[in-house]
Amino acid sequence: MNKRKMFFRMITASLLRRRSRMIVALLSIAIGATILSGLVTIYYDVPRQMGAQFRNYGANMIFTPTDGSFTSADISQGKNCIDQKDIIGVTPYRYESLRMREQPVMAAGTDMAEAKLTSPYWSVEGEYPSAEGQILLGATLSEQFRLGTGDKVEIGFTPSADDNDETVVDSTKEFTVSGILETGGPEEDYVYMILSDLEELTGVSGKIDLAELSISAKSDKLKTYADKINSSVPTIRASLVKRVTESETTVLTKLQALVLLVTVVVLALTMICVATTMTAVVAERRREIGLRKAIGASNSSIIKEFMGEGMLLGAVGGIIGSVLGYIFAQQVSINVFSSSISFMPLLVPITILVSVAVTGISCLLPIRSAASIEPALVLKGE
Amino acid sequence: MFFRMIFGTLIRQWKKMLMIAFTIALGASLATAMLSVMLDVGDKVNQELKTYGANITVVPKENSVLNSLYEVEDGGSTGAYLREDELGKIKTIFWAFNIVDYAPFVNTKAKLDDGTEITAVGTWFNHHMELPTGEQLDAGITSLRSWWEVTDGKWIDEQSIENRNVAMVGSALAEKLGVRMCDEIHLTGSVSDLTVKVAGIIDAGGDEDNKIFMPLDTAQTLSGLDGKVDSVEVSALTTPDNELAVKAAKDPKSLTIAQYELWYCTAYASSICYQIQEVMTDAVASPVRQVADSEGAILEKTQLLMVLITILSLIGAALGICNLVTASVMERSAEMGLMKAIGAQNSSVSGLVLTEIIITAVFGGIAGFFAGYGFAQIIGHTVFGSAINMRPAVIPIVAVLVLIVTLAGCIPAIRMLLRLSPCEVLHGK
Repeated sequence: MNKRKMFFRMITASLLRRRSRMIVALLSIAIGATILSGLVTIYYDVPRQMGAQFRNYGANMIFTPTDGSFTSADISQGKNCIDQKDIIGVTPYRYESLRMREQPVMAAGTDMAEAKLTSPYWSVEGEYPSAEGQILLGATLSEQFRLGTGDKVEIGFTPSADDNDETVVDSTKEFTVSGILETGGPEEDYVYMILSDLEELTGVSGKIDLAELSISAKSDKLKTYADKINSSVPTIRASLVKRVTESETTVLTKLQALVLLVTVVVLALTMICVATTMTAVVAERRREIGLRKAIGASNSSIIKEFMGEGMLLGAVGGIIGSVLGYIFAQQVSINVFSSSISFMPLLVPITILVSVAVTGISCLLPIRSAASIEPALVLKGE
Repeated sequence: MFFRMIFGTLIRQWKKMLMIAFTIALGASLATAMLSVMLDVGDKVNQELKTYGANITVVPKENSVLNSLYEVEDGGSTGAYLREDELGKIKTIFWAFNIVDYAPFVNTKAKLDDGTEITAVGTWFNHHMELPTGEQLDAGITSLRSWWEVTDGKWIDEQSIENRNVAMVGSALAEKLGVRMCDEIHLTGSVSDLTVKVAGIIDAGGDEDNKIFMPLDTAQTLSGLDGKVDSVEVSALTTPDNELAVKAAKDPKSLTIAQYELWYCTAYASSICYQIQEVMTDAVASPVRQVADSEGAILEKTQLLMVLITILSLIGAALGICNLVTASVMERSAEMGLMKAIGAQNSSVSGLVLTEIIITAVFGGIAGFFAGYGFAQIIGHTVFGSAINMRPAVIPIVAVLVLIVTLAGCIPAIRMLLRLSPCEVLHGK
């Protein structure tokens, strides 16, 4: 009991008395631990965060009807097969040929809020339609019909004769152009409107031709989702947008490999740095070791004491480092991805363990060489 | 005498000096590796993002206005075409070096023997070009559509002679027709008819699965569109758009001369489009937002991420070096006390220690620089399969960093030791 008390007293006293040097040592351990916990957190979080960035490329899964069309109930049934937190957006589309100024145009009825999520690359001059009676006009059409934002235009629908045996009644509605859509792709040739408007115009509701899904998952996970949906929802054929999924996997794998390698290189170098500093701090105390040996301390008790001191420093440095590392990773995440990072509780004990191990190993070598030296020689200063 | 003392220390205390040099080398190599990777990561990731395909499309001027409507009406021919003989010019624009790949397309309808109408697309597969600059380039959809999977057979090789009248069939179409590799299909185009041999089946996961792809001249013969092209897809390395680029994309004439020059000489998607329009007659080039925007976002995030990681490791390296230097200077308190006791002035003692450390730092720094260069290359080759380009800016940054950090590590420690009185230090307090 008494012995253990003395042991702690010697360690704490030595740490307190040699304050400036201990601060140097502690600082170096804390830096190492900060880099360890910070980089590892980032490494684990990068795929998730970067994956979200890759969703900028738009939908990576589409639902097409197996027979004619499907309903929004089918979509939500399909949605239930996917882990809810992976879903970024699900946008239904219904395509109809309408008339604008007596010329045929292709119109798509959709959910604008979801379209914004699944197609973040759409560049809209003006506003997305927020209420019924507003349309988003493709840039090509806007130029062709000379319509700008705020202009009003009448759009009509003529039901085809075989759909409706009775008298064919045209339905028309006046719309306000709320925005012009630019994508550099085929979307510029379409008129986008809110689904209920299209249903009102055509008089047919609950029919959807296509749904775009943006899901944050890797391609093999997406494949299992697609298989599950295909087997459980008979009206839907789910397929992957190969261009997006294949390329995402390629690029994301490389990015993760980059962060991993950088982490490994930085960690290895920092740990060696910590070790050399610890070695320098301990090597300085050869005289003290000699003195203790001269008054009768055994090699093992010296090693034990010095190691205890080093490991205590390692533990304290590790704790400081875990906190600083988390703060660093959080800052990076907020600055780069503007979202917060998930805290990994397991990383705290790992960081502390690694710091204790690194300091322990780097103390052991100089202490052993010091302890094996004749006390008289050391004290004499040779 | 001064130099003799310095070399004396360096030689006698070589172990300690080696450790300082080693730590400095580690810090310097860390700084070098991270800085070179950081500065080059944009280009590397940009190259990787090329797997998403073209980010610029070029269409004929009239076509860009009328395309949608009349394509629905009469099946594709609008009368406006790009000229095939001008395609080579795309590789001669100001940012020619940034044009990675491109391919022209000509769409035509063809009838099979049983009367079904299919879309035949003429394009380049791996078209070989000798550029006026002496460069050589293989461009075409083999590389531009890297996500297409050839399920049966292989990509058409335009260079081999036996590949006349060959075609690649989309997987859905192939299934419908029941054709396999080496089967022959007889196609009747609007002008002539010919028999093509199936070189491979393509699984594209999109509309393309219902089309048939053939070399440009084959499709042109079929439709009588000799020397004409519907559209061109260009894959170019671009810089993410900023305010200037957005303003310029709307109307380049709204810029001042200085802004115009800056915009023209930066590889924005809009300035590359503008330059393509300059060399091609009656062409409209526009960025494909799906690809161009996402590329910009991902590039920016990756670069920012690497910058922050680099800053962290630079701080780590700096504090590491600083710490060790402080620790090793403090260790020499007895020696400094002795020098002061026998009459050395503060300035000469600090000069001596500083010079020693700086000599060590120079050696360590140089060794570290080369080690760091090695690390950067390892990262480049493992991750991206290509060497990291060393920017000249890395050398001065690392040199200044090592110097400042070493001095910052020495000076407080020396000052602290000089404040102590020699007899206390020598006494061992």
